[in-house]
Amino acid sequence: MYYVAKVNSEMCSTYKCNMCTLYCPEPNTLMFDSAKVEGREHGTSWVDEDRCKGCAICVYVCSDLLNRDCIEMAMVTAE
Amino acid sequence: MSLRYMTPASKFKRYLPKDYVELVDYGPFGRKYSEVGVKNMGAYKELVEEHPMCSGCWMAYYIKIIFAALPNPEDTVTIGTAGCGRLAISQAAVPFIYGNYGDQNAMASGITRAFRLRFPDRQKDVITIAGDGGMMDIGFSMTMHAWFRRERFTTIMLDNEVYGNTGGQESGMSVEGAVLKMSPKGKNFGKMPAMQLAITAGCVYVVKMSPTNINKAAKAIRRAIFAARNLGPTFIHVYTSCNIEYSIPTPDVFKDAKEMEKGRFAFEEFMTPEAKELFAQIESKTKREVS
Repeated sequence: MYYVAKVNSEMCSTYKCNMCTLYCPEPNTLMFDSAKVEGREHGTSWVDEDRCKGCAICVYVCSDLLNRDCIEMAMVTAE
Repeated sequence: MSLRYMTPASKFKRYLPKDYVELVDYGPFGRKYSEVGVKNMGAYKELVEEHPMCSGCWMAYYIKIIFAALPNPEDTVTIGTAGCGRLAISQAAVPFIYGNYGDQNAMASGITRAFRLRFPDRQKDVITIAGDGGMMDIGFSMTMHAWFRRERFTTIMLDNEVYGNTGGQESGMSVEGAVLKMSPKGKNFGKMPAMQLAITAGCVYVVKMSPTNINKAAKAIRRAIFAARNLGPTFIHVYTSCNIEYSIPTPDVFKDAKEMEKGRFAFEEFMTPEAKELFAQIESKTKREVS
């Protein structure tokens, strides 16, 4: 059992921001989808959970540096 | 590797591994730096693949920046040596050569010379990426002599101030008083002045930094590669913490890098007048080419 990052897309897409994707140490893990989905203002970050090692640097960037609280660490489930 | 060799025939495409096809379709090969580059990380397939480096490793992060910042990835060769770094560098879609125990700069000397003979019409970039042990302790003589001979390639030292890969022994780059394995009472002497050594040995472009600003880090890497093409050796000394041996909780790794930037890894840049002229030329021609 381990933690991985989970992005709250609803909240994330309200900001014009991709800071977390720029500071993730794993390649192609914290991705950015710039596609405009209806009802969303901007693009959103998303996590490839199979690749995430759970370091929580993205949480530090999103919550501590930017005060946006869009990413949280969640326990991996079997689904 | 050239772009032509890595593009698969259309009929074979569906039999190839998914990662390879993704790299051809969505990777940075043959695309403009303004489309791929460091600013767009997360929106294209990066050159580095999954690697076994520790969770939250700042060295893995800097390696990711190196590969995202390459001006010409299809004509680049990386050379590394024993240490943590090569675990990720060798997983990238750029040819990697393993230099045995610190001889990466000696090998790079031969390879750059061979490339200039074999491909006189094409510019091949050679980059050596090694840790503080490989560059300043074990490979010290070969690093210094490559600089003295003014070999034209880029040297990047990933300084984590410890032998992370072998369990945390002190290295020449550890700070004075650091309590590590092999130095239970604290290290007796100070950090080696790598930047001053590089300047004295004749490097044309030298940077010391802690990678907290991604654009600044990418700019330094690209400048170092451009200067190494024609002018002479270039050197980047970068702080990439070891969160295991220095017991930094992973969420605080970035914070630690920022603190280091205020301390002994404050941004310092040295360039010769020729290098300055070169950067002014390149950066005025296409502003996004370097920055």
